[in-house]
Amino acid sequence: MRIVIAEDSVLLLDGLTRLLRAEGHDVTGHRTALEMVAALTTAGATLPDLLVTDVRMPPSHTDEGLRAAVHLRSLHPGLPVLVLSQYVEQRYAAELFARGTRGLGYVLKDRVADVDEFLDAVDRVAGGGAVLDPEVVSQVLARSRHDLADLTPREREVLALMAEGRSNAAIADRLVVGPAAVEKHVTNILTKLGLPPDADAHRRVMAVLRWLDLNGDLR
Amino acid sequence: MTSTEPAATRVAPALTTHPGFVRAPVSAATYRGVAQLAVGWIWSLTAGLLAVIGVVTAAALVPALGLGLVLLPPMLALARAFGGVERARVAAQTGVRVPAPERRRPAGGRRGARLWAATTDPAGWRVTAYALLSLLLQSLYLALVVALVAGAVGGGALTARLLMTDGRTWTASAATAALVVLVAVLALWFAAFCAQAGTLTVVRLARALLGPSAAAEAWAAQRAAESEARVAESAAAAAAQRADVLTETRAAALEAADAERRRIERDLHDGAQQRLVALGVAMGTARRAAENDPAAATLALEHAHGEVKETLAELRDLVRGIHPAVLSDRGLDAALSALAARSPVPVRVEASGLDAAGTTAQAAAYFVVAEALTNVAKHAVATRATVRAAVVPVGTGTETGAVLRVEVTDDGHGGAEAAPGGGLAGLRGRVAALDGTFDLTSPADAGTRLTVELPCAS
Repeated sequence: MRIVIAEDSVLLLDGLTRLLRAEGHDVTGHRTALEMVAALTTAGATLPDLLVTDVRMPPSHTDEGLRAAVHLRSLHPGLPVLVLSQYVEQRYAAELFARGTRGLGYVLKDRVADVDEFLDAVDRVAGGGAVLDPEVVSQVLARSRHDLADLTPREREVLALMAEGRSNAAIADRLVVGPAAVEKHVTNILTKLGLPPDADAHRRVMAVLRWLDLNGDLR
Repeated sequence: MTSTEPAATRVAPALTTHPGFVRAPVSAATYRGVAQLAVGWIWSLTAGLLAVIGVVTAAALVPALGLGLVLLPPMLALARAFGGVERARVAAQTGVRVPAPERRRPAGGRRGARLWAATTDPAGWRVTAYALLSLLLQSLYLALVVALVAGAVGGGALTARLLMTDGRTWTASAATAALVVLVAVLALWFAAFCAQAGTLTVVRLARALLGPSAAAEAWAAQRAAESEARVAESAAAAAAQRADVLTETRAAALEAADAERRRIERDLHDGAQQRLVALGVAMGTARRAAENDPAAATLALEHAHGEVKETLAELRDLVRGIHPAVLSDRGLDAALSALAARSPVPVRVEASGLDAAGTTAQAAAYFVVAEALTNVAKHAVATRATVRAAVVPVGTGTETGAVLRVEVTDDGHGGAEAAPGGGLAGLRGRVAALDGTFDLTSPADAGTRLTVELPCAS
């Protein structure tokens, strides 16, 4: 698939490009967020299948990557975007997920070193899934710990994986249990939290995140 | 006046206490009083009278073509001299010390002003008045004492002679004899009383006219109060100024520390962190390729190995930027040499005996030189630079100390400035927080000279 990357560190841009090309993807790299936005908003530009962007980039070295991603998403709501961040910033995640979770990812840059995980995240986001870094999820869960008192430790594990955007099959795989057991846990969790049972993973992630009040900072 | 009471009790106990009155004829105060009146009267009659005559004559001559104006100042000065001797005499004979009147100096140095001040010198005129009054009063008291004593003794003897007409037997009645004795004794008592009163009068007169006038005293007190207020005011102003400086430098120091933290964060983020992430990607790629494509895996590993070495070098630089190990281990001399050795522009270092400066001053000096040399290399287009560092004694008297003076000069094109938010501005804040001085001279086309002085911790 066609992937556009915005990353100011030459080394990392180089490494990511090599990695993704080795997987058979068509990769275009940009050194600044502005360059990327300019390339994707010119008339006749074809949208990539996935956008991978750093948060902090020149010239201001603040969050122009994130703002570029939000801007491009508002122009093309279906454009899959995977945001790489040096820090766990719940606020960044909240801004990104403010209008939905479909085809959106927010992961720590460190995860990139775990190549299989990273490539999995690339595939999931490109396929319309949601990916939220476990670090962000654990922060949000820690904040909501008080409201999660009814959940068993196992259910909390499942909830964390749900919030990361994983499917039932992926959760079963991760926890080394059968799909039926995961189904049972998910139903229990949704019941205990008072959320509507929903088989659709995207809507489920949305519901869980909304319940966890990821966007609380923005309201 | 209660403050005169102790002196009055000593000089004239007959006037102030009952036992003093009873013992008046045999009191030491009486004999001191008589001696005082005698000496004082003779002194007043000679020197005092001369002073009075001199001053009065000079004053009288003022209308005569201003001759008096020339004579008056020396005459008044003479009068003051008489006053000085008189104060010493009174102190010696009565134990009462009268402070010297203040010599008022005219504020302006003009001749006219000086002459006017000398002519109107109130102390001189008051001494003249004293001389006249004390001569009159001492004459009066002395005459009274002499007359009474003479009357008592002479009258008593004459009466006894008259009563003893035949030379052997008393002819008068006992009552008459008793009356004569009583009158003589009363006269002696009164003489003693007069001697003491005369002395007290002289003392009071001296106090009133030979010492500082009430106005002068008030003026002196006011001046003392004013100068005290000025001292307090300037101390308060200095304290306020110091507080302002401290507030300002504290803010600058915090700002500098903040900027430093931001710089370190930026360096870590843009450097080591990115390198390590890229390293992770390279290692991950190598691992993935290891199964199917060993050649690609080897290439990725080589790449990763290079990355590790680069990362280490970068971290080393960064750590040195935070605090160089050589500064803690070998001192500022060695650290400056190390800085010079790393500079792309040839740098001469003249530094020795810097250990007297505290570690804080040394660290600040190090970063000043580091930043200055970085700027020389980056901007100055210089062919050489010089770093001079020395501990220099400063201050005078009790306010002595030492400063660590560091000077960095180059022969580049100048025009450097400590722009807000820049490295030099941050260092200036750091230097100010240590109560140091920071001087940057960088005229266009004439090189740059940065001089920093840091107080050595005692």
